[in-house]
This record gives sequence, structure tokens and C-alpha cells, in this order.
Amino acid sequence: MGGVRSAGRRWLAVTLGLAVFVAVAVVVRSWPAADDDVDAATLADRVQDSVDRPWSGYVVSQGTLALPDADRFSSVGDLLGEQTRLRAWWRGPDAWRVDELRPAGEVGLRHEGALTTEWSYETGIAEGTAERYRDPDVRLPRTVDLLPPELARHVLAGVRDDEVSRIGARRLAGRDALGLRLVPSLPQASVRRVDVWADAETSVPLSVEVYGDGDDPVLSTAFAEFDDTEPAASTVAFDPPRGVVVEDEDVLDIVDAVSRFAEAVPPRRLAGLPRTRDSAGAVGVYGRGVTRVMALPLDERGAGPLREQLALTPGASVTPERTVAVLGPLGVLVTDDGDGDGWLVTGLVTPETLVRAGRSLTPSWAFTTTAAPMTTTGGTP
Amino acid sequence: MIRVELRKLLCSRRTWVTIALIDALPVLVAVLLAVTGVGPRPGTGPAFLSAVLTDGTLYPLAALAMVVPLFLPVAVAVTAGEAVAGEGQAGTLRYVLIRPVGRTRLLVAKLVAVVVFALLAVVVVAATAYVVGVLLLGQQDVTTGTATFSGTSLTTPELVLRTLMSLAYAMLCMLGVAAIALFCSTLVDTPLAAALGAIAVLIASTLLLTLDAASALHPWLITRYWLAFTDLFRDPIFWRDILRGIGLQLLYVAVFLGAAWANFTTKDVTR
Repeated sequence: MGGVRSAGRRWLAVTLGLAVFVAVAVVVRSWPAADDDVDAATLADRVQDSVDRPWSGYVVSQGTLALPDADRFSSVGDLLGEQTRLRAWWRGPDAWRVDELRPAGEVGLRHEGALTTEWSYETGIAEGTAERYRDPDVRLPRTVDLLPPELARHVLAGVRDDEVSRIGARRLAGRDALGLRLVPSLPQASVRRVDVWADAETSVPLSVEVYGDGDDPVLSTAFAEFDDTEPAASTVAFDPPRGVVVEDEDVLDIVDAVSRFAEAVPPRRLAGLPRTRDSAGAVGVYGRGVTRVMALPLDERGAGPLREQLALTPGASVTPERTVAVLGPLGVLVTDDGDGDGWLVTGLVTPETLVRAGRSLTPSWAFTTTAAPMTTTGGTP
Repeated sequence: MIRVELRKLLCSRRTWVTIALIDALPVLVAVLLAVTGVGPRPGTGPAFLSAVLTDGTLYPLAALAMVVPLFLPVAVAVTAGEAVAGEGQAGTLRYVLIRPVGRTRLLVAKLVAVVVFALLAVVVVAATAYVVGVLLLGQQDVTTGTATFSGTSLTTPELVLRTLMSLAYAMLCMLGVAAIALFCSTLVDTPLAAALGAIAVLIASTLLLTLDAASALHPWLITRYWLAFTDLFRDPIFWRDILRGIGLQLLYVAVFLGAAWANFTTKDVTR
């Protein structure tokens, strides 16, 4: 009888110990955040101005968009369709470092001035090289674009005061974060809302959640650790390991190549959206904030595989003139001018906007062997 | 009491046969890599394995990444499962407890013996891997030197220190398995059932880690941070998962050793 009572006491002690631990963990997690009475427009401005504030941290992003696996665009599919773990150090827009953490290595970007060096651990030590690029005028999304401060500034660019509202505060990465909701007002928009959570002290965005029609975000990115002290210059700079050579590369990706080597001129307006100053050469960028669409001409080698992959996407629409796939709020369209060449039109716009854009693009264009002038203005519709 | 358990461990032929079997896989892989010269493509395969063709001094870490997910924990589960249930099955438990020692001390001694077993296994695997790595695989000075994942150079003392820290972390990660198996060992009458109970927990943890729907549970799963020792090779060192891994193992030890204590100290050993 005494043994049973003694056993009961011991089990009770173990259970109580576990219960205390769980209780402490729950209290810490649900600790309330301190809000601020700053209005939405002011907070949006502060977020844009925070680009010069230094910080460092650990970011986890989660994308749910199952993009087609076309080889020249596969890096975008990884960014928007999977979980990505990033460590980043930000001294300012001209000096930063972003490391994508992988189980067996890292792919890091080191930015200094107008140059970005890419270091991939396993490829780098096998081949003894790292690659350095000049900053192109337009490019495919990279890991740096998944950082909450960068993504927030992209989606809030050109935002109007009546499109933003405050949504309280919450705790993120051990800090108080003020909520800002963007509801795009452009009729072409496919994104229903974007929630940005900015650090109460520095206004650096700590989290961004992009929503389509569903209740869950199609893309979310948030700091799990955040430090607002300035990282050391030596941490950000790239000093290659012994035996590794930094090689200068001319072209970053297919968008960079098209912007410089294709002869086509994108129209001034596309599906009712004006061309922006972010356009370069043959690549047109239209719209503002989160409602953006990009149009670029592709030759048969680029358009063909992309068209085939798009056609395999559930719900894809295929006609002789165009192939259209809709992945949540993201639309992708590739036109066909009859001999395989075509325009790629993609962005966070409605399918109707995409089709309208595809119809208005001229089919005739050609690649040149020399770089086209890096202009962001001019051109004919 | 601890000395007695350690002597039993070190004098047991099964201990050394088990360690030799754990050691066989990395040796076989090294021989295959050396003969064929074909490593996994960059970004695929176990950590460090594609790097060892150019830098053989990293092979202890590659070997660790091979044995930590399965071989080592299974061996620890079998050894810890034997601890109490094995004595019970052999009928020696009642005689062990005749000695003037508390059952709590016996449990702690058993845990220490299992930890020493994990330590021995990790050290033997790493030492063997270093020898075969240097003899059969790439020499660091020939190509790039030893680099961190982040692309900074490591000096030899830094590499040795971080390798030793990795070994210590891998050994620490086995504490949770040992505690679970020890608890199972106090619950059941046969060592096989105890080992299988602990292995079932490991398999469940590994499975749940692949399931997005279980993401809320991931930070609490025992295998979640096992391979975080690779974060010691980032620059600056990424401590987040390593510290969480250590904390989680200590939590598992506290809970399951506590449960083993609650169960064993009042267990009827006369049956």
C-alpha cells in the first residue's frame, strides 16, 4: 500500500515538473505585444524609410506556389514554393549579406556597392570558384527578395493611403511588431491583402504575409531572430577561402539576358497598367506595389520548355496563341507567335489581365549579339 | 556503482562488435568514394559527403552525418533497453539491488554507461573516418583548403575544435534516446521490447518531421535537431538550432529519466 502511494507521489512530481515547463512555455509564447497609435500611412512611410537601418537576423519563409519546373526559372519555383531558411546581415542597401541555409551547405549572396558575389559551398569547393555579378536593372527574384524588409518595401511601393490600415500589434522574434494591412485597389490585382508587421522601435518589417483568395497566406516570411545592431563590415564582406577564385560573370539570369540582348520593345501600357521605371531594355515591368506584371520576349529555346511545363499545370489553358496557368494569385502566360517564340507575361494579376496583356504584345522581335541600350524609357506600343 | 557498470560495458564483447558494425558503414562509403571517385552531386547526399573528395579531413563529419540518423541511435536504444530489462530477464536484477545502493543511483549508473557507450562509438567512428579520409580521400592543401559553408577559411586548430564540438553534440543527442530506452527498460520485461519501444519513438519522430501538417510538433520532436552540428561549420556559427537541440535533449532526459525513476524505484523486482 505504501509502495503504491510512493509511486503515485513520484509520478505526480514528474507530471508536475512537466506541467510547469509547459505552462512557462505557453505564457512566454502568448505574452501580449505593446501597440502604438501611429496611423497606417505614417507606418507605411516609416517602413519605406527603414531601408538604411542596419540589422541582422534569421528568417524563415514559406511559399505555397507550385511553379512549373522550367530549368531557367527553377530558382523562382524553389523560392515561391518551398520553405527557405535565411541568415542575413544588413548594413545598408549597398552592403548586405544573405545566406540560404541548406542541410549540407549554404548559398550566399554578398552585396557590396553595385556588385553581388554568389558563393555556393559545395559547388564552390568542388570547382574552386565563386561568381560575381554587376547588379542588373531587372532580374528574377533571389533570396534577398524574401527578406521581410525587402518584400515589404516592394509591396508597399506606390501604395495609396486609402489602401492601408492598422491591424494591431503582435510579438515577433521577441519584439513588439506593429501591424499594417494593404488591400490593393487596382482592378487588375489578384492579391486580396498583404499583412506587414514592422518592428515598433526601428520600423524594420519583421514579417510579411501575402494572401490570395484563401485564408492562409500563399507566401509568408518572418524573422525568427532579429537584432537591430549594425553588423560588422567583415561579416558582410566576402573574403574567398584559400584556393577559391572569384570569377566575374556577365549575365545573371534569363531576365537580365533578355533585357540586354533582345531587340523587342515593351509597350508603354499593358492591360491598363503603366510601364514603370523598373523596366529595362526588352523587359517591361508594369503596375505598382504588389499588383505588378512583367513582360519579356523569349525565343523558342526559352519559351518552348516553359510552355510545356505550364501546360502540365492543373487547370492550365492551352490555345494555339497562348498557354496560361494560374497558381493562386500568380498568373503565368506564354504567347506563341507561330514559330515557337513568344512573350512571357507573369505577375500578381488576374487571369483576365494576363490574357489581355498577351493579346496586346507584338509577336515580332529578335535577339541581338550585342547588348541593347540600358534604357528605361521610350519604345512604341 | 558507476565503475561497475562501466567495467561491464567495456568488458562486453557485444559493445565492441556493435561499435565495429556502426563503424563499417563510413569505412565502406570511403572505400567506394576512393575507388570510384564519384561523390554525390553538390547539394545532395549526407552533409559534407560531396566535399570530402577534395578535403578528406572533413570525413569524420561526413561519417557522423551518416551514423547519427539511424545506426547510432539504434545501437544506443539496444544498449539502454538492455539496462534494466536485461538484468530482469537474466534474473540478476534482484541480486544487483541487494547491494547497499539506491535504485535511483542504479538508474543513473546505467545512464552513464549508455552515454559512455555513445561516446565510444562516436570517437571510434570519427577516428576511423579521419584515418580513412586522409589516406583515401582528398588532401586539403591540394585544392581549396578547408572552408566553412559560408566561404571563410578554417585554420587547422579551428577545424579540430569544431569537429570535437560536433562529436560532443552528436553524443549529447543520444542522451534523449538513452533516456527513452531506459524508461522503456523499466516498463517491460524483455530488452528487445524496450529497444523496440525507443526505436518506435525515433521512427515516429523522423516520420512526423517530413509532414507539414505536424509542423507545430516539429520543435519538440527528438530527432529535430540531430544534424544541427553542421551549423558549427557556418560563419559566424549558427547557434540557434544547436542550443535548441541541447535544450531538447536535456528536456527528454529530465522527463524520461524522471518517469524511469518514478516507475523503477517502486517496481516489483521479485517476479
